[in-house]
Amino acid sequence: MQTVTHIKEASEIDVVIERVREEDFKKMTKARFFFNWKTEKENEVYKLTLAGTDEILGVMSLVNYPGEQRCQINLLSVSKENRGKNKIYAGIAGNLIAYACRESIKLYGADACVSLHPKTELKAHYIEQYGMMDAGMQVFVEGINLFRLLEKYKI
Amino acid sequence: MKADKLKSRYTPKEQADSFVFRNKLTPKQSEDAATQLSEARKKVREQMTESQVLYAKVKQLRFQMEDYLKSEKYNQEFSFAYFLKKYIRLGYKIQKNFAKDIEVPTSELSSVLNSGRPPGKKMIVRLELHSNNAIPAVSWYRLWEKEKEYELKTDKALRKQEEKHVQNRLVFDF
Repeated sequence: MQTVTHIKEASEIDVVIERVREEDFKKMTKARFFFNWKTEKENEVYKLTLAGTDEILGVMSLVNYPGEQRCQINLLSVSKENRGKNKIYAGIAGNLIAYACRESIKLYGADACVSLHPKTELKAHYIEQYGMMDAGMQVFVEGINLFRLLEKYKI
Repeated sequence: MKADKLKSRYTPKEQADSFVFRNKLTPKQSEDAATQLSEARKKVREQMTESQVLYAKVKQLRFQMEDYLKSEKYNQEFSFAYFLKKYIRLGYKIQKNFAKDIEVPTSELSSVLNSGRPPGKKMIVRLELHSNNAIPAVSWYRLWEKEKEYELKTDKALRKQEEKHVQNRLVFDF
């Protein structure tokens, strides 16, 4: 099962990632998740919750490109209280990105790929934190680095 | 909070740990980005080994199984035998060789694949071991269970046949 780390208690807590339901969009406010998530309704939007609770800690919007055998992370945000130095849980974004890898493997098998368009100043960090590779305007994960993400996040 | 305020509040590392931002590209930029990505991916694919390709295909099968198990719908096609046949085809051209590797008589494997014979705990555990734990025994078991659950729910003939063996049924007045 996928887990996040409760930083103060240094404990691993089980999490669940699943598709967002229509009623969830009311909870996914700009104040808590920074973006207007209603504009993502046409994409596959996933939420991360602690197992057994309804509290959403992170959300991700995925777009599939079957012709290119890849999934693109269009948008991702962790909840306000889980950002920066004082965050409660660590590993929310990593778990969501690893889940995108799962979806890509499910659809495309050995050709699976997950990509995103990074802000220039964040590119190096996606590469360092998630093992992504540089493809100019995009970064992506495929092959062994993608498999490593699945293993790291216990998928 | 606007994006520029995020910059003052969080370091780039903290931002990458919390967000993926939308990036609007012009059609020309999109085209260039696609070409760059396609070239970079080609290099990665060329380096993939046979065992990595097999790992990906086994994981693909596992995730397809898990998603089917999670869904409430029953699909007659997605039987235990259907997924096991797909699993065998990933690494074997002849079923007999697979039967040999998991020490199951060929006739027994054939009955499981073609006649709905129960796989049994031993076979299910051997499947987990054979996949090097990539597909857990529980996933195989649940597939079998989902099939049997559907049969049990929908078997009208069995209910009719068993009626004569039940006396003094409970009666509820309300």
